[in-house]
Amino acid sequence: MKSFKSIDLIEQLQADIRQLILAATYLEKEDPELLLSAPAPGKWSVAQVLEHLNSYGRYYLLAIEKSLEADKPQKQLFTPGWIGNYFTKIMKPGIDGKIGNKMNAPKNHRPAADLDIKPVIDNFLEQQQRLLELLEKAKQKDIGAIRTPISISRFIKLKVGDTFRFFVAHEQRHFFQIANTLPDTQKSTGKFQSIPPAIQRSPVF
Amino acid sequence: MEAFDSLKNFIHPVQPLKENEWELFNSIWQPFECKRKTILTAAGETERHLYFVTEGVQRAFYVGDDQKEATIVFTYPYSFSGVADSFLTQTPSNCFFETLTASKFLRTTYRQFENLMNEYPAIQQLVLKLTAFALKGVLTRQIEIQCFSAEEKFRALLKRSPHVLQIISHKYLASYLGIDPTTFSKLLGSVRL
Repeated sequence: MKSFKSIDLIEQLQADIRQLILAATYLEKEDPELLLSAPAPGKWSVAQVLEHLNSYGRYYLLAIEKSLEADKPQKQLFTPGWIGNYFTKIMKPGIDGKIGNKMNAPKNHRPAADLDIKPVIDNFLEQQQRLLELLEKAKQKDIGAIRTPISISRFIKLKVGDTFRFFVAHEQRHFFQIANTLPDTQKSTGKFQSIPPAIQRSPVF
Repeated sequence: MEAFDSLKNFIHPVQPLKENEWELFNSIWQPFECKRKTILTAAGETERHLYFVTEGVQRAFYVGDDQKEATIVFTYPYSFSGVADSFLTQTPSNCFFETLTASKFLRTTYRQFENLMNEYPAIQQLVLKLTAFALKGVLTRQIEIQCFSAEEKFRALLKRSPHVLQIISHKYLASYLGIDPTTFSKLLGSVRL
């Protein structure tokens, strides 16, 4: 398995998260109606996609924070575990923004359709700031030795370095979905004339 | 190392430091490099680092309610960089700070910087002078933004920093002047400097 310099991996993930913050900052200034409309019957609105991410954040940020309390000082190199690497690989969208395999979200991560957009975006942005701080804290820790349980089973634990990679890849995947959702919603509702800049500057990583 | 020589050459005319002060000041900087279009600080984050640019171009920008990006400042060699107000006050930044081209820096953290400032009056003096010049630059630009026409802003920029035309994409220069990109290219074709 290919190793990373821990500090380079952490700083790359931080840069990725900042791109997501920028994309969400654009969404914050978008017409709320566009964000709340479904692109097609049965498909998620942008607000639902964000709330889906928030629901994972509520679990993982706490789990990561707790695991980082472990007294294991930093190591220069990080080698991904095979499960963590596999999860990250299937999650990560291609460079062209294509999302390969479709997945179905587990029941407890399927958001309601009637959302209030402002708290959803506020919560998303807060979570990203916390994630940046956790990554900063992780610079002092051995992200290969510390392990974090995954959300569906507390018996399966990933190296926290992999948990970060997997979590960020999941967010990136859904931001490509958002970039596709917006023009579809414009077409299906016929309400929105111009292409919002949020798409023009899509979160390309 | 070359980068450290450049740092010394930059600092010396502003505030000469004694040999031991220079050595301490020197010791807090680490080389750092990154690809183009890397966001180093997001809005809402508190700036942790002060950068000294040795290669590449960077900008700080704000995303407005109309989703327009306003470019607030550019940096390029040799100068300090980062979100200065957030760094100095250790409060959340309003701006995003990103590299426009692949960049190389020396970089230090607020904590290391603050320790030296508290201990050495000459270093505090250095920071005061650098901040004062930065403030002068900001207020000069404030006047230009509020009182100058598009053509006057364009002339003022090219008089002050003619080389930016070569190193910075014109769409960002237009965003820096607060004018339309098409207005910018018209001015570029018509204005005799």
